[in-house]
Amino acid sequence: MTTRKLVFTDTSLCTGCKACSVACKAWNDLPPEKTDFVTSYQVQKETTAKTWTYISFHEKFANGKMTMRMFKHQCYHCADPSCMKACSSDAIYKTESGYTLIDHDKCIGCGYCVSSCPWEVPMVDPETKKSYKCTGCIDRVENGMLPACAFTCQPGAIQFGEYNEMIKKARIRLAEVLEFYPNANLYGEKLMGGTNYVYLLLDKPDTYGLPKNPSTPWSLTLWKSVIHPLGGVAIGAAALAVIAGVASNAALGNYRAKKENAENSHMEGGE
Amino acid sequence: MEPTFKKSDKIFRFTVGERVAHWSHAISFFILLFTGLGMISMFFRPAVGIVGGIDVARNIHRVVAVLFVVVFVVNLFIGEGGRNVRAWVREILAFDKKDLAHFMIFPFEFFGLHRPYPPQGKFNGGEKFNSALMITGMVCLVITGFMMWFPTAIPRVILQWAYPAHAGFALLLTAVLLAHLYLSLLHPDSNQALKGMFNGYVPAKFAYEHYEKWYYKVKSEENVKEQAKREIAADG
Repeated sequence: MTTRKLVFTDTSLCTGCKACSVACKAWNDLPPEKTDFVTSYQVQKETTAKTWTYISFHEKFANGKMTMRMFKHQCYHCADPSCMKACSSDAIYKTESGYTLIDHDKCIGCGYCVSSCPWEVPMVDPETKKSYKCTGCIDRVENGMLPACAFTCQPGAIQFGEYNEMIKKARIRLAEVLEFYPNANLYGEKLMGGTNYVYLLLDKPDTYGLPKNPSTPWSLTLWKSVIHPLGGVAIGAAALAVIAGVASNAALGNYRAKKENAENSHMEGGE
Repeated sequence: MEPTFKKSDKIFRFTVGERVAHWSHAISFFILLFTGLGMISMFFRPAVGIVGGIDVARNIHRVVAVLFVVVFVVNLFIGEGGRNVRAWVREILAFDKKDLAHFMIFPFEFFGLHRPYPPQGKFNGGEKFNSALMITGMVCLVITGFMMWFPTAIPRVILQWAYPAHAGFALLLTAVLLAHLYLSLLHPDSNQALKGMFNGYVPAKFAYEHYEKWYYKVKSEENVKEQAKREIAADG
């Protein structure tokens, strides 16, 4: 039986070398894309259909000292993913190991997942018309290997292991780091049902441009849990009303009356 | 005093333009509903295989949507028909006491029980309500539909609400459509109206019984015309 895994990214160890981004492209056979200058060392604004992970850089200047915060973006593999709820084609599913995956045979590229993800991770490839995002290197991790990003991470910031062990490790590390960074926190453990990628942040989430409380959009819950069933009820009620209407008109003799009328006027030579 | 009718007495109700508006909407609604069902639930997904799968269905959905909007809007500005369609919209906005009175007894009529109601204009209270729902729904469906077509051009928050709005109006209008089909095909009284949507004429007796106010308006207009004709003939 496969057990739940966890990728713990300790941003206090990250050097911002971006090797994870390159390793991801190498293993998943993703072509390079034209990059832009975003800020300081950052050249990617968001995940794309061909770039599943990138590092964002956040400069901070305080007490005459410059510090840099780094954060690795990719799919967080939520336990309760809103992309899966939004999917029109049952193409998004969860694995026992905790990963959220897209079945590209079923995906039709409708883009519902794109607008539903609180982190704006999945993207539709305009050429293949399918939605893409980090797979967590499911092909590697379910065969006893490290995910490509963790495998390549030189300072050991990206760590992979069994969920419970890694969470324990993360908590111990948080206690150590809190001494130097009073705002340090674990990000992801309790978000969206608990993500499979958990971070040790040195500062509050908004410092990294991350949503503090990412959640399933209200509109999505309304859409899939209220409007769809309610719409079915409305159509069913209308169908029942039609049947009841025909039955009551028949019982009242309205159809017969109409027919007799027509016959009478026929005999009178009305038409 | 109640006028007497021969079976053959007819009254002109819908110009070509009004019928084009109705049938362009009717046909496109069915196509859009069928091609859209495959997106609303996986239960209907196999059905769109008839047109060649969900990808083809989505393209048909877009083409038909554009055709419908173009035909409907252009038709709105052509001749007498266009004028009448615009008048229809104005009449719905002028929803008054007599319309409300009809709307309140409508459930009885729906099930074949008769209740008295005040004389109605060209469209009765129930029809006005149905029309108002359809117009509001279709405008929202068209707007949200185009947003969903070009998701990257639309702010995320608005797009997130466009999806449920599109699904909600589609389902609501489908429920309304079922009732509309019943009234036009299966209801022993109101199914007379369908004739008007084919050749433009409805039985005069039906018009008098259902739209008394409108009936007398048409009759008086006819009288004025005939009067004018007679005068011209007399002058000539």
